[in-house]
Amino acid sequence: MKKRGIVIAETEELTIGYASRRRSIRVMEHLSVSAGSGELVALIGRNGAGKSTLLRTLVSLQSAVGGKIRLHGRDLHSIGSTMLPRIVSFTSTEPVAERNISVRNAVSLGRFPYTNWIGTMTNADREAVDHALEDTGMLTLAGRRLDSISDGERQRTLIARSLAQDTELLVMDEPTAFLDLPSRYGIVSLLRKLTREKGKCVIYSTHDLDTALNEADRIWLMDGECIIEGAPEDLILSGTIARAFESPLLSFSSKEGTFSFVRGRRKGIALEGDAPALSLTEKALGRCGYAVDQQASVRVKVQTGPEGWRWTLAEGSETRSFSTLYELMVHLPEE
Amino acid sequence: MREWLPSLKLSLAMTGLFLVTLLLFCADILFGGTPLEAGDVVRALFGEGSPESEIIVMEFRLPRALTAVIAGAALSVSGLLMQTLFRNPLAGPDVLGISSGAGLGVALTVLTLSPLFAIAADSPLQGWGMILAAWAGAGMVMVIIMAVSSRMRDIMTVLIVGLMLASAISAVVSLLQYFSNETMLRTYVIWTMGNLGNISWQQLRALSIAALAGMILAFVMVKPLNAMLMGETFSRTVGVRMRSTRLMLLAAASILAGSVTAFCGPLAFIGVAVPHMARLLFRTTDHRALMPGTALFGAAILLVSDLISTAPGGGQIIPVNTVTSLIGIPVVLWIILGKNATGGRR
Repeated sequence: MKKRGIVIAETEELTIGYASRRRSIRVMEHLSVSAGSGELVALIGRNGAGKSTLLRTLVSLQSAVGGKIRLHGRDLHSIGSTMLPRIVSFTSTEPVAERNISVRNAVSLGRFPYTNWIGTMTNADREAVDHALEDTGMLTLAGRRLDSISDGERQRTLIARSLAQDTELLVMDEPTAFLDLPSRYGIVSLLRKLTREKGKCVIYSTHDLDTALNEADRIWLMDGECIIEGAPEDLILSGTIARAFESPLLSFSSKEGTFSFVRGRRKGIALEGDAPALSLTEKALGRCGYAVDQQASVRVKVQTGPEGWRWTLAEGSETRSFSTLYELMVHLPEE
Repeated sequence: MREWLPSLKLSLAMTGLFLVTLLLFCADILFGGTPLEAGDVVRALFGEGSPESEIIVMEFRLPRALTAVIAGAALSVSGLLMQTLFRNPLAGPDVLGISSGAGLGVALTVLTLSPLFAIAADSPLQGWGMILAAWAGAGMVMVIIMAVSSRMRDIMTVLIVGLMLASAISAVVSLLQYFSNETMLRTYVIWTMGNLGNISWQQLRALSIAALAGMILAFVMVKPLNAMLMGETFSRTVGVRMRSTRLMLLAAASILAGSVTAFCGPLAFIGVAVPHMARLLFRTTDHRALMPGTALFGAAILLVSDLISTAPGGGQIIPVNTVTSLIGIPVVLWIILGKNATGGRR
């Protein structure tokens, strides 16, 4: 593991937005955050908070309205347009224009800043491409076309392309969007691996709070007027996460670090039985408007037997038994 | 093995296509409207044939075959540039109204400026005048299309705008025709049928120089073109200057399509269809291979079209424009209906 903490990217009193000759629209002001080598930084925030704008400003796709950005301690303005692509790579949500391109060719384009006027690949370039393909697990699919692989594999290809560009800072706009759960975890754990094993600094935006809070070293949280940074747990402890994302329908558990639906007024139900069915039963009962209360008149008992799990519902003298939770829920007493 | 196998296949395909094009070129000189013995043709090429055969070969067939090669290559490369530039598999000089724009330039010079087409053929100044007018017309339409496609991501919208432009231009040309005399009108109508054979050596020289300039301009841009396959944002973040790159590509495509259209008339569907045929044959998206491949394929297709158009013999000629349409339209339909229409589902 390489040492962590050399500052790779930092902003100072940055104002992001769109400036034209007549007027400027400020999306957010006074942004002062930083990211270090070997760090996985997750940028989170509600829709429209300005995540993409911040990332695009960081990689100089749009200019800052005010303030400073420093990459490797150098002011972004002082880095020339031939040097910048060797310092930072960017993966956007823009669809690939030519879906017939092969994985290897797409990754090879990451070598763009290093090749000559016609794009001739030297041995060193080819080696970099091979390494990038290998690190992302795409080597066996290198000959496939982009429209013949899965969404997750396509995202891996784009990450490989970023790796081939050989920059210490990798900026990615929503690399896990539109991916299923295993692919999402796959991508984030790949990004994590890159920070740990290669010492890369990865800044990525995401709506996937779960993985971000579990895997990121640092969170940049865009919250209406300001940006707050810190380790995920710091932000949970200070209540920042809860404030930013809680709504009348959603509550955040600081203990678990997870979100759940807010349930309305609930009836009591007594519950006993064996794990792990016990907690799952509690969850299912919660959805039906019941909260566990051992003093309640309605009682549910869950036990495991020779035929699997069984649930017994007791209400007064009446007792019924079910083999699935679904049946139990259907037969719960109405209000 | 994975590394060299595709490149070996690529060189094989390229060599094969080159040989086929060479064969077609020879065939185009050997066969024509007037039947000539092969021996006579060869003797005429070396200046030892009969005066009659020498005129047929040196003044008609050779410039005609050379024009087919240059026009086919130039139009196809122009189409390739536009398809990558507009991220649109259906882009092409004729589909987007670029040829119409060039035609407007030509119509203005033929119908209003020069009293007779014949004079244009004799004067090199007129030749270049027509080329410049065609470039201006093509460039004008190209800039409009560029402006539209930067606002409208939907490729079908852009195509419809192209069609509208073409209709508007043909309306303007109709107006021009109303004010011109019968000879000029006939010259113009013949021009619209597409003709590879109406070219003097002098005009051929102008066409070659213009096409070569366009080709060089296009080939200098292969690296940014390849980056653009991944999208505009990516291109910008690896250091492509999009504004100047777009301008260069627009200029190259206008020069290529405009010059050909000026001298040969609109040759429909070559520009849009041939790049797809080349992609299919070479199985690559890399412009370093695709561009020469497309140029060769375009030359071959136009040579075939020319052979077909002179096939009836006895002075009868099918307009080349008709032949190229019959070859190109199935390919375009295949793109629209087939899964190759990658841009439509974004």
